[in-house]
Amino acid sequence: MFGYFIRRLLLLIPVFLVMSAVVFAIVHLVPGDPIDNMLQIGSSPERRAELTAKFGLDRPLVVQYGVWLDRVFHGDLGDAIILKQPVVSLILANLPHSLALGGLALAFSASVGIAIGALATFFRDSWFDRSVMTIILMGATVPNFWLGLLMILVFAVELGWFPVSGARSADALVLPVLTVGLGGVALIARVTRAAMLETARQDFVFMLHAKGLSKRQIYLGHVLRHALLPVVTILGLKIGWVVGGAVTIEYVFARPGLGSLLISALNQRDYPIIQGCLLMLGIAVMLGTLVGDLAQAAMDPRIRDGMR
Amino acid sequence: MQTLTRLALLTVSALACSCSALLAQEATFAVTAREVGAPSYNPITGTRLNSANSLIFDRLLLQDTDQSFHGALATSWEQTPDGMQWTFKLKPGVTFHDGEPFNAKTIEWWIPKFAGTENAYMVANIDKVEVVDDLTVRFLMKAPDPNLLFNLASSFMGIPAPKAYDELGDKFGVTAAVGTGPYKMQSFTVGQSTVLVRNDAYTWGSDLSVNRGPAKIKTITVREIAEDSTAFLELQTGGVDLLYTVPTDFLPRLKAEKSIKVMMIPGTEIVYMPINVTVEPFTDIKVRAAAAYAVNQKAIWQTLYGGVGAPANSFLISSLQESRIDPKVAIAYDPDRSKKLLDEAGWTVGPDGVRVKNGQKLQVKLWTSNGTEFKRITEAVQAQLKDVGIQADITVFDPSSINAQYKKKTEHQLAVRSYSWTNADIIDWFFSGKRLGYPNVSMLNDPKAEELNDLAMTKARTWDERVANFKAYHEYILSQYAFAPIYEPANIFAYSTRKLKLPEVVRGTRLTSQTILDAEVTK
Repeated sequence: MFGYFIRRLLLLIPVFLVMSAVVFAIVHLVPGDPIDNMLQIGSSPERRAELTAKFGLDRPLVVQYGVWLDRVFHGDLGDAIILKQPVVSLILANLPHSLALGGLALAFSASVGIAIGALATFFRDSWFDRSVMTIILMGATVPNFWLGLLMILVFAVELGWFPVSGARSADALVLPVLTVGLGGVALIARVTRAAMLETARQDFVFMLHAKGLSKRQIYLGHVLRHALLPVVTILGLKIGWVVGGAVTIEYVFARPGLGSLLISALNQRDYPIIQGCLLMLGIAVMLGTLVGDLAQAAMDPRIRDGMR
Repeated sequence: MQTLTRLALLTVSALACSCSALLAQEATFAVTAREVGAPSYNPITGTRLNSANSLIFDRLLLQDTDQSFHGALATSWEQTPDGMQWTFKLKPGVTFHDGEPFNAKTIEWWIPKFAGTENAYMVANIDKVEVVDDLTVRFLMKAPDPNLLFNLASSFMGIPAPKAYDELGDKFGVTAAVGTGPYKMQSFTVGQSTVLVRNDAYTWGSDLSVNRGPAKIKTITVREIAEDSTAFLELQTGGVDLLYTVPTDFLPRLKAEKSIKVMMIPGTEIVYMPINVTVEPFTDIKVRAAAAYAVNQKAIWQTLYGGVGAPANSFLISSLQESRIDPKVAIAYDPDRSKKLLDEAGWTVGPDGVRVKNGQKLQVKLWTSNGTEFKRITEAVQAQLKDVGIQADITVFDPSSINAQYKKKTEHQLAVRSYSWTNADIIDWFFSGKRLGYPNVSMLNDPKAEELNDLAMTKARTWDERVANFKAYHEYILSQYAFAPIYEPANIFAYSTRKLKLPEVVRGTRLTSQTILDAEVTK
């Protein structure tokens, strides 16, 4: 298992290098630059050139990338051009908010999604199965930006149960968590249901029926456990989502977090922040995938054997 | 018995008074999209400052709605006839939040701090600052600058405390911001909120406020809410007590709320359609004029904005003297003239209603920025252009991308954009031949315009001369049909009457400290 972990970890190095190059290229190839947002009405073209040179934006892109990558390897993501603060501090200040929102949303998605998927399989082809799956399908197709506003209208404006926005109290987390989490519930419930139905058709399940075990014992004790493998894969991929999956939701709910920081930086083309945030999100996805793979390997010896 | 009654009445009055004093004088204000993400409260180096800035820093002067100047930290000022010296008398007894005194030496320290910053141009004509006495300061000028008073009244002219500024360096305005304003900055989280606490020593408010200080509200939290709908719902539910900018879309719903008062002050913004004069078919002035006359300002004002704000017929906001131009050059909707001009330019109506010349359709690009309001105006303009036979294809960009596209100089033809500024020098910014592509999106660069620009920007000695020169420059730009004016929005803000009481009349060009000084929490 340790060897498997090391091999997977080494694989991340080339992935990281490619990702960093793609991140840098995307940020710099998009039209616009931060200098436009720094100039004041009345600034001269010479002042523009002066600022461009000051931030090294007049140097060839490859050189800029080299300088940035060197800094990254030294743990320095540079200083924000517009916000004039170290990017690392900005990320660290916003990360706890994103982790709280994303982590709770993931926990909500996983627990509710698995429970609904399991129940839908248990009551397969019943009115419960059909109606829950239809609602979930509808939920998955609703843009979470719109869902967020709908949540605010119902639970904050009409019922007055929760604050409309902000991060000043713990209850301000409820609506954003539900909004982000509901999208995940749909996916996880569908994957759980599909995997359980697939498992339920396997020989060992017929054997369990033949041995006289109750339906509940078979489904909850055996089928669900075997069906969790693809669910774990999905959850692994969703760990990246814990860090940055709530970009638009942070915006709608006026919450601090990496999403809000990224959107604000994108609008102002504050390159160091955009690069720093995207890099963080990329690393989170990479690590999430790694955790998912390791969890799968731990659960299924065939995967470990396959890597030998 | 009488004595007892009197005593009872006195007790009740005393209780009422103490209850009022005991009211939690705390309020939450919110700034929306345009002001979200201002990186600091450093007026010297900042290029984006939000509304809380005026509560922390005082300026020498303030400008009223009618563009007149009023003393803030200055009590009086005078200019020598040749415009080469300005003398300012300063208010006595003013101190910074850190206890340091404000005096002539502060100004002597402050003006040179602008060197090398984005705001340096505002004091570029000041050669030297001379301390006459403790409360008198003289500016010796390199050249006459009739715009000096406007610049000194700008929000970037808030005066920071020298000691704190020098000690904090780049951190000034981020970790702490020290001024002489009615509020002290307690905390600031960029993009999220700023907490301000009352400066109890403040007694030097301007004559634009009834209350000269201290402020009545003890603590103000200024939240930054990027999404307009969320900000609106916060105001509706009482999460926010005052909203600095209300999008026109929400006006009908806010007006229907009994506990919310909507207030409007004259606008500082113009929405317009620049026309690229260097790209076919707009190299022909008749086609440019036709496009400009096709825009129905009144229809847009009434249908999209419900009659709030005003239709625009020139490039400047209506409160500026330089906007009072010769009516002959004002651009107003005239479809017949538009069609006639297109006929004269050789563009004839084709079978599908789109004009044709030499087998080529009159089909042009119409660019705009993302955002519901921009898209709506652009769609209206598209329909109006179609009515005279111009087919305009809309492309939507994000604000940073669109500026980069303009810099390519020949890619764009028409666009819908806006600016917010309260001085005629905005014409220089958007039409000077030195800034082709962006911000001179119209790409106008002819000798006559440059000559008039030079006169307006550098040759005036007095305010009246400056107004006359800018008026001539403005009229010339209009005569070249380098743009079509569209709409002049009003500045709209709203507050909860359940919680706040604000003066009936808002003084100043924006909702700033002079109004907040008079505001109080009522519940």
